[in-house]
Amino acid sequence: MSHRLGVDIGGTFTDFALVDDQSGALAVHKQLTTPADPSQCVLAGLAALLARTGTDIAELTTIAHGTTLVTNAVIERKGAVTGMLVTEGFRDVLDIAMERRYDLFDLRLHFAEPVVPRRLRLEIAERVMFDGAIGAPIDEAAVGQAVTRLVEEHGIEALAVCFLHSYADPSHEERAREIANTLYPDLRVTTSNEVLPFMREYERWTTTTINAYVQPLTDRYLDHLESGLAEMGFQGRLLVMTSSGGMATPPLARRFPVRLVESGPAAGALMAAFLGRQVGAPDLLSFDMGGTTAKGALIRDNRALRRYEFEIAREHGFKQGSGLPLRIPVIDMIEIGAGGGSIAAVDDTNLLAVGPQSAGADPGPACYRRGGTRATLTDANVALGYLVPDAFLGGEMELDAGAASDALARDVASALDVEVPRAAWGVHEVINEDVARAFRVHASEIGFDYRRCAMVAFGGSGPAHAMRVARKLRIPKVIFPVGAGVMSAIGLLTVPISFATLRSGDARLETLDAAGLEAGFAPVERQARSLLEAAGLPLDGITLERRLDMRFYGQGHEVEVTLPDGTSPARLGELFLAAYAKAFAVTPLDAGIEIVNWKIEANGPDPDFAERYHPFAGPSGGDPVARRVRVFDPTSGDYVDCPVYDRYALPAGTTIEGPALIQENEATTVLGTGERLEVDSFGNLVATFADGEI
Amino acid sequence: MTTFDPVSLKILWDRLVAVADELVLSLVRTSFSMNVREGYDLSCMIFDARGRLLTQGSYSVPSFTGTAPATIGHMLRAFPAETLRPGDIVITNDPWMGTGHLFDINVMRPIFRGERLVGFTMSVTHLPDIGGKGIASDCTEVYHEGLRLPVCKLRDDGVLNKMLLDLIRMNVRVPEQTIGDLMANVACNEVGGRAIIEFMEEYGLDEIESLADAVNDHAETAMRERIAEIPDGTYSNAISIEGPGKAIRLAACVTVTGSDVGIDFTGTDDPVRASINVPFCYTRAQSNYVIKCLTIPSLPNNEGAMRPITVTAPETCILNAQPPWPTGARHSVGHFVVPLLMGALAETLPDRVQADAAMMNVFSVQGRHRDGGEVTSLFFLAGGLGAMQGLAGRAVTPAPSNMTVVPTEIWESRTSMTIERRQILPGTGGDGRWRGGDGQEVVFRNDSGHLFEFALMGQRTEFPAQGFAGGGAGALRVYEVNGAVVNPKARIELAPGDQITMREAGGGGYGEARQREPDRVLRDVRDGVVSREAAEDIYGVVLSTDGKSIDEVATANLRAS
Repeated sequence: MSHRLGVDIGGTFTDFALVDDQSGALAVHKQLTTPADPSQCVLAGLAALLARTGTDIAELTTIAHGTTLVTNAVIERKGAVTGMLVTEGFRDVLDIAMERRYDLFDLRLHFAEPVVPRRLRLEIAERVMFDGAIGAPIDEAAVGQAVTRLVEEHGIEALAVCFLHSYADPSHEERAREIANTLYPDLRVTTSNEVLPFMREYERWTTTTINAYVQPLTDRYLDHLESGLAEMGFQGRLLVMTSSGGMATPPLARRFPVRLVESGPAAGALMAAFLGRQVGAPDLLSFDMGGTTAKGALIRDNRALRRYEFEIAREHGFKQGSGLPLRIPVIDMIEIGAGGGSIAAVDDTNLLAVGPQSAGADPGPACYRRGGTRATLTDANVALGYLVPDAFLGGEMELDAGAASDALARDVASALDVEVPRAAWGVHEVINEDVARAFRVHASEIGFDYRRCAMVAFGGSGPAHAMRVARKLRIPKVIFPVGAGVMSAIGLLTVPISFATLRSGDARLETLDAAGLEAGFAPVERQARSLLEAAGLPLDGITLERRLDMRFYGQGHEVEVTLPDGTSPARLGELFLAAYAKAFAVTPLDAGIEIVNWKIEANGPDPDFAERYHPFAGPSGGDPVARRVRVFDPTSGDYVDCPVYDRYALPAGTTIEGPALIQENEATTVLGTGERLEVDSFGNLVATFADGEI
Repeated sequence: MTTFDPVSLKILWDRLVAVADELVLSLVRTSFSMNVREGYDLSCMIFDARGRLLTQGSYSVPSFTGTAPATIGHMLRAFPAETLRPGDIVITNDPWMGTGHLFDINVMRPIFRGERLVGFTMSVTHLPDIGGKGIASDCTEVYHEGLRLPVCKLRDDGVLNKMLLDLIRMNVRVPEQTIGDLMANVACNEVGGRAIIEFMEEYGLDEIESLADAVNDHAETAMRERIAEIPDGTYSNAISIEGPGKAIRLAACVTVTGSDVGIDFTGTDDPVRASINVPFCYTRAQSNYVIKCLTIPSLPNNEGAMRPITVTAPETCILNAQPPWPTGARHSVGHFVVPLLMGALAETLPDRVQADAAMMNVFSVQGRHRDGGEVTSLFFLAGGLGAMQGLAGRAVTPAPSNMTVVPTEIWESRTSMTIERRQILPGTGGDGRWRGGDGQEVVFRNDSGHLFEFALMGQRTEFPAQGFAGGGAGALRVYEVNGAVVNPKARIELAPGDQITMREAGGGGYGEARQREPDRVLRDVRDGVVSREAAEDIYGVVLSTDGKSIDEVATANLRAS
């Protein structure tokens, strides 16, 4: 008997998914998160789940977990006192930042502060030139003095070493690390070349300082977790989810804690990708909408798309540019301030505005009657009949439809001089447009054609909006997965150990020979291998995939090209042009091509999860149509009669025509007029548009 | 005509803005021009079949606020709507018809649904090069500045005008990039046209004129409500800025009457024999920008929002320069419309205005990389922002236009020059209850082995950024070559091994320095941005001997004196 466990530590709840390797059966558990020390809720939840299912901890082979620990530490500024050594003349780079306003018309701008204050940044005489030549040797005595001062006078726990052009020659940064660790062997040191040897000092150094800033608390957290698990008798492997959608071992996570940012949402996207493999839908949009935010990810050829940028700790709502930019491999997620708690109001131009401010779960929407009085998206969905008040969260919490209507009447309908249903529909549809816009804009940024894709919709609010969003995007099929409430926790079990990295380095294609190609990849491959080896992973099970960021010479944006094994330099141009044509509807230029970043993705073997996972235990045997309600139909502009199905009672093969609601504990799927769905053999609901509008 | 309730209007309007944003992003992604991809020196617009502006992409620099309706008007006079065919593309870079200088190409495409014209899209981007001397302050006529294209068809009924493309290719320094950017504009307009057709189909719209009217009327009403809150009156201001050889006076008079704003620039000096003259379209865009910032910053740009604003300037003045005055660097005067108008309105809108900013340092660089490749580009450096009531000016942040820093590592790789130092200059922001933003110092060394030419156009080298409401002025901008101060409007030849230092100006402060909370002054001193002496002399704050706390008694005494 063996089992594996996925644990997703969220802001409010921690979700557990325990899978029996033999039967594929799934057991789930929810536990309140303990933000001060998340290891506590993991250990407590694990004990509870093992006891409930009668599982012996010795049978547990893997615990894969994702955590918001690092994200929260940066947002709440709870990291360590961190010092910085920086190339002489450049200590203000963190304050100068992008020299960019994130809003042109709003003059009251607020930017995120760097995590290392100016007085803890000390300059070191040294210089590496852009081509890797040494312009000035490193002043080793100054390094020793600076480190001593930072430790003795300022009590730093972590140090970031940030020198110019260290991607071209890391020797100065590494020498500074040696000196620091000779003086203070316990001082945690992060160098900018190891975090990500990427050209653009502000972003690289910000990433480096944040890595250092969260290292001590990540260490403490993993110490607690590992020792707690050992005490319980756990002998299997503990894995930590990274933002890139791969698993890291604890040693890797301790070295690069900045890579643990956003690991929870990434897991949801990976579960969507996994589901796509299961049902034969290689290209997908993953759409997850909860109480505060909606998150989207694009999946191409069964893989969630990645990028190397992420912005953390935005000062101004969701405005790009108001936070701190990280250069780490991340699942390419769209995040917008749209969720059940999004507050509806009339803005200063007398138009309806919904979000990004959210009532969250506390005080919550007006219909929760928990102190929230402002109209929210959830209130609109209640008023439209899409959420059945006495069936919310499996009937555990009764919603007050009267309070919802009152709030909408007061906050929206009277100000706009429309009826409440019209106001509620407006709130609902504004969110649909916001979500569709975010997908559309993002797809056009990266050249992703979503029209032949399917959408996977989950989260507390996602299934109520998915069909309308899909209609706007002309996406023909929407999948509502079974077990959507614990998608992230299950998603953690579907991914291999993985480490992705890159190095910046310019090379013109016309002069690149086979030796040059090998030389370009060599340092990146070396880094990936040595890190994985240090993390205790046998290299023979690891595959290395090569990718290049390429562009026309002088153009600002790169296209990523994956190199099949043994690709010769002669084929690179052709691969680039094919990728370019796929991304842009522009005639390729008669211009030279250059390589800007060399990327390696090292992957361990895929967990043998797919064949075994069978979460759908079959219908519960209850009455599929529990009741009938009145719901708002946008086509007629009026309320219509509509059946409410109990999702747990639907056998595979059932087909349902809209309008209909399909109720499950965590969410309600809204199927409109002219839409239909079928329950597939895995228990997923697969919806299409019967009216041929798409 | 269809009418729209507020709910539909919101949903449809949002979608149009999203379409325009989508155009912007696809353009940014395929563009070669650094100004476009790093600085969003571009704009995309959607018009109805009458040429009425519905919306503009959310990201674009202020110089494009409200210029497009005039541009499309010129285009439709040259090629009336009824003569246009699917597959036509109309372009111009005429400074007086477009956005004020030859670098900006305006690309318009009619949208046909079947055979019927339903609207237009337009994109404007800053091209990498347009021939001539480019942006240099020593041009004396527009003819020096590059190739001027009248309103013409780049594509006629689906057939590309090869002659026109050859003409452009022959006249610019980086033909692949320039043509590439031009074609990227064509492509983004195609995407936009498709998106508009889909939008009409999804919402069952046969035409978008009704929507244009509704959107514009709504924006006008919202704008008028807000303008009406400004007390009626006439508010004037005049400032001096640096011209070639002598100062230039800019004057403005803002008249608020009910829900209308009139802005007149009578009293402004004449054009000058340098490329800093401003076509009126640019003056109007900056004026619109100021009023929008001070009223409803979040309002999407369209014609209606600008209807309550009337801008006038005598045809003899530098803010309404006529052909053939050169205009390549029109921003270096035109950007001052913003502090000019902010200053005029400072007393009546004290909680909304922003003190003077340092203005951007835009300079062009021409030379050769160590590897032999030609380098020709515009670069930007920011000084400090002006402070506002309740908000310090941010250090090293551009205004009124926007940009993104060129990282040191990219600059060095691209030019083979070395940046020796890039640091904030503490204390260069104006003093005040809210401090002006500090400037920065950047030192470049020519390590390319070739001659490099820097064309300087810096402002705020004689007239600093003024503080408001008793706030102090920011420090001046200074350029030095090998340690000696040089003419800030000169074309500098930088020999191999030479150094050029740019010291960027500070922004103006807001409010009296002695009203600044002592705790903030203490933090300024600890962060090294205000000296202990300045804390006492200017802010009236005395620190304890160890510098770690405030000497409350001494501070109270000093401030009372």
